[in-house]
Amino acid sequence: MTGKPEYAIEVEKLTKRYGDLLAVNEISFNVKKGEVFALLGPNGAGKSTSVEIIDTIRTPTSGKVSLLGMDVTRNKLDIVRRIGVLPQNFSSFDRITVKETLQYYSRLYCGLHADIDALMELVNLTDKSEDQYKNLSGGLRQRLGIALALVNDPEVVFLDEPTTGLDPRARHEVWQVLQGLKSQGKTVLLTTHYMEEAELLADTVAIISKGQIIAMGSPSELIEDNANYQVLTLLCADGNAFEIIRGLGFEPVADQHRNIRIRVDRAQDVLLILSAIKDAGALYSGLDVRKPNLEEVFLKLTGEALHDGTVGHKGAQ
Amino acid sequence: MRPRVVAANLYVKLISVYREKTTMFFTLAFPIILILLFGAIFMSQDNVNFHLCVQDLDQSKSSRESVEALGQSGKFKITGVDPAVDATKYLRETKATLVLVIPKGFERSLMRRKFFQDYGESATLTYIYDPSSSSVPTKMAILSGVIAGANQEISGIPPFIKTVEKSILTKKYRFIEYFIPGIVAMSVMTLSLFGTANLNTELRQKGIIRKLSTTPITRTEWILSDVLYYFTLALVTTTIMLLVSWAVFRTNLHLNAWLPAFLLLDVFSFVGIGMTLTRFVRESQSAAAAANAISFPMMFLSGSFFPIELMPGFLQTLAKTLPLYYVNEGLRAAMIFEDNVAARHDAAIIGVFAAVVFILGIVATKWEEGQ
Repeated sequence: MTGKPEYAIEVEKLTKRYGDLLAVNEISFNVKKGEVFALLGPNGAGKSTSVEIIDTIRTPTSGKVSLLGMDVTRNKLDIVRRIGVLPQNFSSFDRITVKETLQYYSRLYCGLHADIDALMELVNLTDKSEDQYKNLSGGLRQRLGIALALVNDPEVVFLDEPTTGLDPRARHEVWQVLQGLKSQGKTVLLTTHYMEEAELLADTVAIISKGQIIAMGSPSELIEDNANYQVLTLLCADGNAFEIIRGLGFEPVADQHRNIRIRVDRAQDVLLILSAIKDAGALYSGLDVRKPNLEEVFLKLTGEALHDGTVGHKGAQ
Repeated sequence: MRPRVVAANLYVKLISVYREKTTMFFTLAFPIILILLFGAIFMSQDNVNFHLCVQDLDQSKSSRESVEALGQSGKFKITGVDPAVDATKYLRETKATLVLVIPKGFERSLMRRKFFQDYGESATLTYIYDPSSSSVPTKMAILSGVIAGANQEISGIPPFIKTVEKSILTKKYRFIEYFIPGIVAMSVMTLSLFGTANLNTELRQKGIIRKLSTTPITRTEWILSDVLYYFTLALVTTTIMLLVSWAVFRTNLHLNAWLPAFLLLDVFSFVGIGMTLTRFVRESQSAAAAANAISFPMMFLSGSFFPIELMPGFLQTLAKTLPLYYVNEGLRAAMIFEDNVAARHDAAIIGVFAAVVFILGIVATKWEEGQ
């Protein structure tokens, strides 16, 4: 863990306990330099606690964490100069403008001459530079938070739930900024409970549940290893179709929009189902065949949904 | 410690308060209200004029002259009570607090004493009073003093013991002028203590402290910027208080280098206490309650409003352990007595206290969470 490390972050048997509550339970993982690494899990899984220990906000109960070759419990001042952090529920001084906020944080890193205009351009806040923080929308605030995390041109960037609470449009705007970071080759440790976010941005995803990492790999590896099947969806299917599919030995699941989802293990099963429906004269307005996503992987591994509203995916089981 | 970082923090805090018009207004208005309110109350201390009800049952020339003499003493504003009414009932019904009753036969007794040297003759005046009123003992004491003077005059013998007043100051000061240094010390304490505790708990609740903890700013830089911020506000509010008290009450105090020195020590002390409080309270409401619990006893015990000589012995001892007492004493020594030795002594004591609580504040301040 010294010299010129291959890994930007090395975590070994990290544990955090709050009284009787075991928030993080002996997790271990490494993040390569230039990699975007996502900790994916539901609220309360231990993602933020883990990240806050690595980025020096909290101290661990036990275990070793090395960041850029330095022990996080001993080299805080050296570490914070080389990292950038967007904490969970980021907030700033209400009456200070975007530009002043960036100037303020850049001054905390003495000897640093941050290009404030370039940062505002990067996060698309140039036209809001004179707006006070209290007047910014949620998405603009998060973009400012990301800009602040980059004000010292850090080697490692920590983004703790960067899009939580944002509407879909604002979330996509933040994703664009994060993809820009990825293309710059920054090492990024991201926490999220949005599987699309992890799938879109991360090179490596660690699925975390109840304080433990239960699976880790690239999004495609995780899906391949844990959900090697396809999901056939029939849109607006009539009632007969459901019974026909059941008669074929499958386990269809219907939702309130009359969509029927069926897990199929082989490509021939799709043809079998479609021809049986056609023969019976049953109707549907469209169909979709796709591979499962990380949410379904999480569901399979933990038996829990990542967040509310995902029960419909049981159809893939 | 990096001055550039301290300056950046100071700028953010000053610009925030400048743009928050309501906060700005109350920060400046509070000391003005305080000085006008307490100034108006304490100005009257120099010209006490109590309300006194007198029932003259004798209705003679001598009794009337005695009542007039009481009024001319300048201490009382006299209200006559009809001799026909029951004085006790009158006191209850009118919410008056003291009725002086001059008995029937007052003039006859006075004449016998004056012209026939009948020393067995006397007149008994009765005080009918409401013991629940805090002003009654003062009124009765003044009244007794006036009556003792009258007795002396009636006796026709010059007094043996005489008194003469000699102030240690060449200039005569009014009570308001003794009071202003205490108000300055108290308002700077309130500003620094409440401001630090509220601001820091609010920033922690909003997560700003958490963000700052991931930057190279140190606790010393942060607290020092707090001290400079509140010192700047203290200079502004003190200037306003002194200008208002001069404009309204024509106060005349000595302004010298001790004034900013004591303001700085006052700020250092209470920012240190505020930072220490912030360690133990999580919510800004709790911070305000904790700051109240510290500032209120300090306000009343340290001699800002009342001389500590009026307090029981153990409270006087307690008062001398409070930092605000030494700020009050130091400011009075500097602004009224021009006593550099006393000011230096008080500055040394408050300086040591300020250094200790400032270090305590740095140690108590916690950037990291969930240790």
